[in-house]
Amino acid sequence: MTLPRRSFFQFLARGTGAIVASWVAMKGISATMFREVLPARSLAPTNQKWVMVIDLAKCDGCRDCTRACSTMHFVPPMQEWVKVFEVLDNPAAGRYFLPRPCMQCDNPPCVRGCPVGATFKRTDGIVMMDQERCIGCRNCIAQCPYSARSFNWGEPQHTPAELSMPYSMEYNYPHRKGVVEKCIFCPHMLREGKLPACAQGCKMGAIYFGDELEDAVTNNKGETIQFTKIAKRGAAFRLLEELGTEPRVYYLPPASRKYPTPDEKKALEMHS
Amino acid sequence: MISKREEHLLSTLTETSGRFYRWIAVLLAVVLWGLYAYVHQLRHGLVVTGMRDEVSWGLYITNFVFFIGISHAGTLISAILRVTHTEWRRPITRLAEAITVFALCIGGPMVIIDLGRPERMLNLFRYGRIQSPILWDVLSVSTYLTGCILYLYIPMIPDFALLAEQSSLGAWRRRFYKKLSLGWTGSTTQWALLERAISVMAVVIIPLAISVHTVVSWIFAMTLRPGWNSSIFGPYFVVGAIYSGAAAVIFSMYVLRRVLRLQDYLEPVHFRNLGLLLLSFAMLYLYFNINEYLTMGYKFEGIEKEYLTRLFFGDYAPMFWTVQAVGVFIPALLLMAVLGLGRHQSFTIPGVALASFLAIVGAWAKRYLIVVPTLSSPFLPGQRIPWEWTHYRPTWVEWSITAAAVAVFLLIYALFSKLFPMVSVWETREPDAIPAEAEAAAPAPRGWGPISSIPIILITLTLAGASLAHAGETQKPRKPAPTALSLEWQALPADKLVSASPEEAPPDAITAGRVQHSLSQLFGQLHFGSKGGEEQKPPSAIALKATLKDERGAPVAMQAVSFSLRTSFGLVQYGSRPTNEEGKAELVVRDRRYGRYPVLVSYGGDEAFGGTRAEILVDFASRPTPALPTAGVLIAPYATAAIGLPFVIFYGIMWVVYLYAFGYLILWRMRRSGQEKHPH
Repeated sequence: MTLPRRSFFQFLARGTGAIVASWVAMKGISATMFREVLPARSLAPTNQKWVMVIDLAKCDGCRDCTRACSTMHFVPPMQEWVKVFEVLDNPAAGRYFLPRPCMQCDNPPCVRGCPVGATFKRTDGIVMMDQERCIGCRNCIAQCPYSARSFNWGEPQHTPAELSMPYSMEYNYPHRKGVVEKCIFCPHMLREGKLPACAQGCKMGAIYFGDELEDAVTNNKGETIQFTKIAKRGAAFRLLEELGTEPRVYYLPPASRKYPTPDEKKALEMHS
Repeated sequence: MISKREEHLLSTLTETSGRFYRWIAVLLAVVLWGLYAYVHQLRHGLVVTGMRDEVSWGLYITNFVFFIGISHAGTLISAILRVTHTEWRRPITRLAEAITVFALCIGGPMVIIDLGRPERMLNLFRYGRIQSPILWDVLSVSTYLTGCILYLYIPMIPDFALLAEQSSLGAWRRRFYKKLSLGWTGSTTQWALLERAISVMAVVIIPLAISVHTVVSWIFAMTLRPGWNSSIFGPYFVVGAIYSGAAAVIFSMYVLRRVLRLQDYLEPVHFRNLGLLLLSFAMLYLYFNINEYLTMGYKFEGIEKEYLTRLFFGDYAPMFWTVQAVGVFIPALLLMAVLGLGRHQSFTIPGVALASFLAIVGAWAKRYLIVVPTLSSPFLPGQRIPWEWTHYRPTWVEWSITAAAVAVFLLIYALFSKLFPMVSVWETREPDAIPAEAEAAAPAPRGWGPISSIPIILITLTLAGASLAHAGETQKPRKPAPTALSLEWQALPADKLVSASPEEAPPDAITAGRVQHSLSQLFGQLHFGSKGGEEQKPPSAIALKATLKDERGAPVAMQAVSFSLRTSFGLVQYGSRPTNEEGKAELVVRDRRYGRYPVLVSYGGDEAFGGTRAEILVDFASRPTPALPTAGVLIAPYATAAIGLPFVIFYGIMWVVYLYAFGYLILWRMRRSGQEKHPH
C-alpha cells in the first residue's frame, strides 16, 4: 500500500497546524497559570538596595561583630550568623581574617532551592527567612556555598528577654526547633535608621553598610564613603564570585593591613 | 483448569509455617524499635541524630536515594520486557513490580523523617514553589507511586477473579478478591481492554521511571557543591538505580524460589538472563564511575581537591575503595565467572544471587558516599567547630530508623506474598489460554476520556502595599547673621559615555531591539528570570552652585566652602571649593545616586567673616521601581512558566494516561462489560 503524496502533504500541513495551535494554547496557559505577581512580603518597606563593604585591612579578627550579632538576635549557642574565618589563599600571601555574614546574594541559591518560599528575596536586596513557614528540609543549607545558614537541631536555649518578644521575621527570634536561621542584615535596625548590629559592634570600623542607590556606605565611626569609589579604588571583590551568586557583600582586600595578621597576633599572644 | 505448578503456587497463600511467623515477629520487633527511635527524634528534634550544620543530610537522605533506586527494579525492567514482548519475563513481572511499589512507599517517607518540621509538610502544597528541586521530587515520586500501584494492580485483575473461585481459601478472602477483581469475567472484550491498559501503562512507566531518578539526582546536581555540581548526575543516578534495582529483583527471586519453592516458575534461565542484564549494568555503572571521578581527579581543581583527597586517600577512602570493589568489581567478576565460564555454570543461581546481594549492599554504601563526603567538604570549611560536625557519625536513632525501614520493606513484601501469588498465574499460562481474538477485537481508542485536573502547584499572592519613597525632610536654608550662603543645583545633560538614550542609539542597536521585542512577543512568558522593570537610567551629573555673600549682599571671594550630602547613615564629604570673585563655588557631582538628598554647604568663617551654612534638597535621578534583581535565575516567589510548564506538562500527561488506562479502560469499560454479562 503506498500513500499518495497528496495525503502526506496533508499530514504535514495538519501537523504544522497542530504545533502552532498547541504553541498558542501553551502561551495562553502560561499567561493565566503563571502570573508574575510579586507577593506583598517580597516588597521591602523602603525602596533601597542594601550593600555591605568589609575592609579586610581593618579587620583584626576580634569577633566583636559575631558577639554583637549574637547579643542582638539571642543567637543560640554554637551558631554564628556572622562568622570570622581565618583564610589562607596561598602560603605566600599569608593569612587574613574574613568576617562572613550572609551574602544576601542577588542570585541566591538558597531562594532558588527553597520548596515553600520560606526564604525569599526582598526588593531591598535582603534574603529573608520565615521561621513560621520553614519545613526544615535543609535544602538551603545544601545550596548555600558560603555555609551562612544554621539549623536548630534541638530546642534552642532560650532567654527570658528573647521569649518576651513576639516573633517577627525581622528579628528571626524567638528561636524555634527544626528550622533554619541566618543573618538578615537586621531589618528592624534599618527601619530605625541604624546600622546593623555587626557594623555597629565593629571596633575597627571595618564594616561599612549603606544603600547602593544612595551610593554611600557608613561604618560605626561615622565615616561615610561613596560606595562606587571605595569599591573601585579598593579593588573590591566578592566571595566566590565565580559561582555567579552575585553577593551584596563586598570585601576590600587585606592590603597594607592596619592590624596584626592572624600569625602575628598569635605570636604576640605567645609573648605576652 | 488449574495445573499442578499453579496448585503449588496457590498453596503458598494458605500454607504458613512457624518459621514465617517467627520471621514476621522479628521484623515487627525491629519496626517497633524504629518507631520508638522516631518518637524519640520527634520529641527531642534532629539533635539526636549525628547531623549538624556542616553535614546536614545523612542516613535518611541516603536511604531515600537508595530506596528510590531499588524501586527502579521492578517496574522499569518489567515495563521494558513487556513492551519488547520478551516471553521469559512472565514469571518475574509481579515480584519485580511489588518491589517497586514497596520501595517507593519506604523511600518517600524517608524525606519526611528527615524534616525538622514534619508537621508543616503540607506547606509543600500550600506554598510550593515549582522552581525548587524538592517540589519536583514531590511531583515525580507521587506520580510514579500512583503509576506503579496501577501497574501492579491492573495485571493482577484476572488472578483476583481466579482466586475468588478457589475453594481452598476462606470466604472472607474470596470476597476480598472478588471485590478487587472489578467484575472480571474473562470475556474477549475484557481481555482486550486489559491488554490495552497494560501496554499503555508499560509505555508511560518507562519515561516516568527515568524522570524520577533523574529528578532525585537533581536535588544534588542543582547545588554548587563539589562532587554534586555535575552534569552527568542524572544518567549516573538512573544507571545506578537500574543496577541496584535489577539486583533487588534477582535477590528476591532467589529468596522466593527457596522459601516458596517456586522452582517451576523461576528457572535458571531467568537468573541467567537477568544476570546478564545485571552484568551489563555493572559495566555501565563502572563506566559512569570512571567518567565521574577521572574527570574530577585528573584536574584536582580548587574546591574539588579537598573533597577528592578525603574520598581517595583520606577518611572516606577505605569505604570508597571497598564500595567500588564490593559494589561493582566483585559482582561483575562473579557474574562473568558464573555466566561466561562453562564449568561454573552449575553455580549460576547462587552466584548471580550473591552478586546481586553485594550489588545491593554496595548501592546503599555508594549512596552514603554521594551524600556525606560532599557535605563535609564545603567551600568555606568550618572553623572553631566541634570535630563531630565535620565528621558525620550516625547515631543509634538513625541506625534504628534505617533498620526499621528495611524491616518494613521486608515485612510488607512477606505479607504480600501471603496475600497474593508472587507469580502471575494468567501470564505464565500457555498463550492459547487467553482468547486469541483478544488482540483482534481490541476496541478503537476513544480519546482521552474526561480531562483530568492536572496537579498544579501555583501561588497567586496579590501585590499589596506601596513603597515608601525615601525622602529626606525638607528644610529651608537657614539665614545666618554675618554671611549668607545660598545654594542652587542644576542637572547637567547626561554624559554620553555613561548613557545612550534611545534617540542616540546606533541603527543596529534599534534593529537588535526590534528583534528582541518580536522574540519576546513570540516567547512571552517562556523565558527565564524576572522581568525586572525598566533599565536603570544612569543618573545625570548634578552641578551644585553655592554663593557666599556678606551682610550687605556683596560677594565674598577666595573662601573655601565645603559640600556634603546626607545619606541614610552619614554624610558624604565632597571636600571644599574656593569661591570666585562673584562669591560663587561650583561642584559637579557625577555619582550613581538615585532619589532626593539634602546637600549641605558650609563656610567655616575666618577673622573677617563668620561661618554659615545652607542646605538644599537635591533631586538626583528618580529611584528605580522596587523589583527583584534581574540577576536572579528562578528566584521568583511565583511559579515561572519556564520551569513550571515542562513539569506540569510531563507529569500532567502521566496523570491523563492513568485516567485513561485505569479510569476509563478498566474502571469504566471493563467493569461495565463484566456487569452486562452478570446482571446480578
